[in-house]
Amino acid sequence: MIEKGKISAFQLALMMNPTIFATALLLVPAITAKHAEQDLWLSPIWAAISGLLTVYISCKLNKFYPEKSLIQYSEQILGKIAGKILGLIFLLYFLHLNGIIVREYGEFVVGTFLNTTPMNVVMGSMLLVCALAVYGGIEAIGRSSQIIVPVVSLLFLVMTLLLVKDLDPKKLLPVMENGIMPSFMGSIVPSAWFSEFILMAFVLPLLKDSGKAMKWGVLSVLSVMFLLVITNLSTYMLLGKLTIKDTYPVMVAVRYISIADFLEHLEAIVMAIWVSGTFIKISMFYYSTVLGMAQWLSLSDYRPIVLPIGFLILVLGHWAAPNLQSLAHFLGTSGAFYMLTLQLGIPVVLLCIAWIQQKFQQKKDGGQ
Amino acid sequence: MKWAAVLGITFIFVCMALFEWPKLGRGSKKEKIIFLSLSVIGWFLGSMLVFFPNPPGPTELMDGIFKPLGKLLEK
Amino acid sequence: MRAITFFTKLNILLQISSLLLPVTLLTGCWDRKELNDMAIITAAGIDKKTESTIELSVIVYIPKNAGVGEEMGGGNGGQGQQVLVRSAEGISIAEAISMLQQEFPRHLFWGHNEVFVIDEELARDEDLRPTIDFIMRHPQTRERSHIFISKQKVKNIFSLNPPLERDLAEVLRNLAGLKIGVDITLKDLAEMLIGESGTAALPYIDILSPPESQDKKQTIADIIGTAVLKNGKMIGSIDASTTRGLLWLRNEIELAVVTVKPDNTEGYVSMQLLRAYSRLIPKIENGKWKITMQAKTEDDLIQNGTTLNTGNPQTIHRLEQDLKADIDNKVKEALKQVQHEMNADIFGFAEAFHRAYPNVWKKYKQNWDDIFPTVEVTLETTAKIRRPGIVTEPGAYPEQEVKTE
Repeated sequence: MIEKGKISAFQLALMMNPTIFATALLLVPAITAKHAEQDLWLSPIWAAISGLLTVYISCKLNKFYPEKSLIQYSEQILGKIAGKILGLIFLLYFLHLNGIIVREYGEFVVGTFLNTTPMNVVMGSMLLVCALAVYGGIEAIGRSSQIIVPVVSLLFLVMTLLLVKDLDPKKLLPVMENGIMPSFMGSIVPSAWFSEFILMAFVLPLLKDSGKAMKWGVLSVLSVMFLLVITNLSTYMLLGKLTIKDTYPVMVAVRYISIADFLEHLEAIVMAIWVSGTFIKISMFYYSTVLGMAQWLSLSDYRPIVLPIGFLILVLGHWAAPNLQSLAHFLGTSGAFYMLTLQLGIPVVLLCIAWIQQKFQQKKDGGQ
Repeated sequence: MKWAAVLGITFIFVCMALFEWPKLGRGSKKEKIIFLSLSVIGWFLGSMLVFFPNPPGPTELMDGIFKPLGKLLEK
Repeated sequence: MRAITFFTKLNILLQISSLLLPVTLLTGCWDRKELNDMAIITAAGIDKKTESTIELSVIVYIPKNAGVGEEMGGGNGGQGQQVLVRSAEGISIAEAISMLQQEFPRHLFWGHNEVFVIDEELARDEDLRPTIDFIMRHPQTRERSHIFISKQKVKNIFSLNPPLERDLAEVLRNLAGLKIGVDITLKDLAEMLIGESGTAALPYIDILSPPESQDKKQTIADIIGTAVLKNGKMIGSIDASTTRGLLWLRNEIELAVVTVKPDNTEGYVSMQLLRAYSRLIPKIENGKWKITMQAKTEDDLIQNGTTLNTGNPQTIHRLEQDLKADIDNKVKEALKQVQHEMNADIFGFAEAFHRAYPNVWKKYKQNWDDIFPTVEVTLETTAKIRRPGIVTEPGAYPEQEVKTE
């Protein structure tokens, strides 16, 4: 084993929550609203199905091959060469996706707060902090999420409560005006986000109590779903059709809070939520990529490649898109299918093959 | 200015190497090779982006592959 | 061996230099803006200058006088300007801002701008949507800023010297908060403009003429009614009393004193609104589009200028009828002017029909401009007078003059 640290299933659930929610919070409501309009609050519910499926797949695969990660058992399932190729595809994918995530982070910070700061500095400083977390190993990430996630979730719920007086529930009517389809179409992009739960396949071998993994994984999916439903409901009840036009509807919603001319200008808190959530998210992806790479190359330690990979992520962040519009457009269209294919499609195929192999194995054992 | 940026990237890699090299120890030749080759790839890509800021990248490639499905969500 | 010691030494050196590294970052904090580098804008307004240009005026807060004014009391502080008004011309608001920046030694900061005022001439002649786009797009401007249409040139309004408040931005923001007229924020306006009917209502302000003996500038701007916008242009305005009818239809009524003249008496009775609530119930019957407005209000009697005995439940009942009639009249007036004359759906009828009849709505959406003036509105108002204050019979009339009925 390359990683010697161990975490609990509860910590894993806490780590996965911001891994989905942190970026979904800002870009997804606008993308969902474009398709689902006033039914946008239904979309995360449909989308959570893909999350549950991913959790199920990664837990099942882990049962077949305990102690092994996605990169390692794909070699066992598909054979040496095909497995290595698939492993490389996964690693390149996670590198690319992590680049996109870092870019989203950079675009948000530069676009709304630090207008003149070079993006390199914003992305680079975040990656440096994440590199330190990854250096510290899975235990460090687990413990930092134990501190960060409860605070962030609480802050977020308080924000929503402060908005209540400005909300107009009538904007949600008529429910399902054009049937169920719009809310379903709107759920494709969030379900791509939910399928990021496949990162569990990297971390599950490191659990102290892998028996509880399924339970906590499901709870983690449900918590993300709950937060997204609340986000979508409150944004739409406040902004109505404007949700579609804003780049960051949640940001606008929080800026709108004004209690007694006193509790105002709270966008710094969104910033805090966003930065700390994204920190966990990038660290998780970063860690999984580095660990997977070390396993793929059968290194004895993953630490030597942390920094070079970090730089590659920064470069890919730059390369990801020429500007925010094309990035958002990519994530809102082809990107969703790209993510779904790699994070849900291929694992499903892997599970099927593994399952058939297992059946044959049993038959052979039974025959002898 | 562009050369300065390349110099900056080189500086980052020198720092990384100085930080990491002593820890790699003498025995682990494989780690050293991989560290170096990843650094070279990173350095090369980084410098390339300095000179050609927006070449079509992985995003465009994937966009091309998944375009037929992506059209469904075009609006 | 030697190589290792070399690396350890280098590593120590590196550790020390990494401690020094943050120092180099201190020199270049790109977005560093100290409070004393900023000119904080508290209100902005746009006038039409020539056929193709606009004039942007802003009120900028001067921080150094704020503290002094309080300490010195009357003297210099009270009179001393705490704000600065500046204007600049340009083809678009974006260009005007860059011209404006040249007049300031500090960075213009929009984060505290709470008021936007648009001149009536500009609103009537030009589409406001490009301006709204700029305000929405700017990362610093706030979606909660209040928007007004002004009868006078904004430049003149901004140069006023309000006696009670710090500056005009403060005045307008508080007026909007009192809900005397419609209270529309940037978010509301944008939402109305992209809404089903593409119409919007904005508070309409004018300079309140000061008492004659006083300085002409020692006054404020007040809300005199509502400006009605359609497709981004102002098409008309209604007065303050009609605005109350509009507020009833929009369920935005909050603060009001209603004065009625009961039959067979001389004098007036005034009632204060405590609670008010209204809702629109749409109905389509045999191709006829109908709206029922249900309104409920609870009031307190605050002045009885007649000889009626307000301790008598019958009298109270009669007054309730008068109150109801007064509300109905105002609503009808608003309907007459806005629905029939301007044909602008600022009441939210379109949304109400959309919500109740999504399928029918889809078919007739295009023809809404033709349907809207024909919508029949029925009023179901219930007015209740809860308490007659703390006297029952008219307070200052002798017993024998009080009518008992």
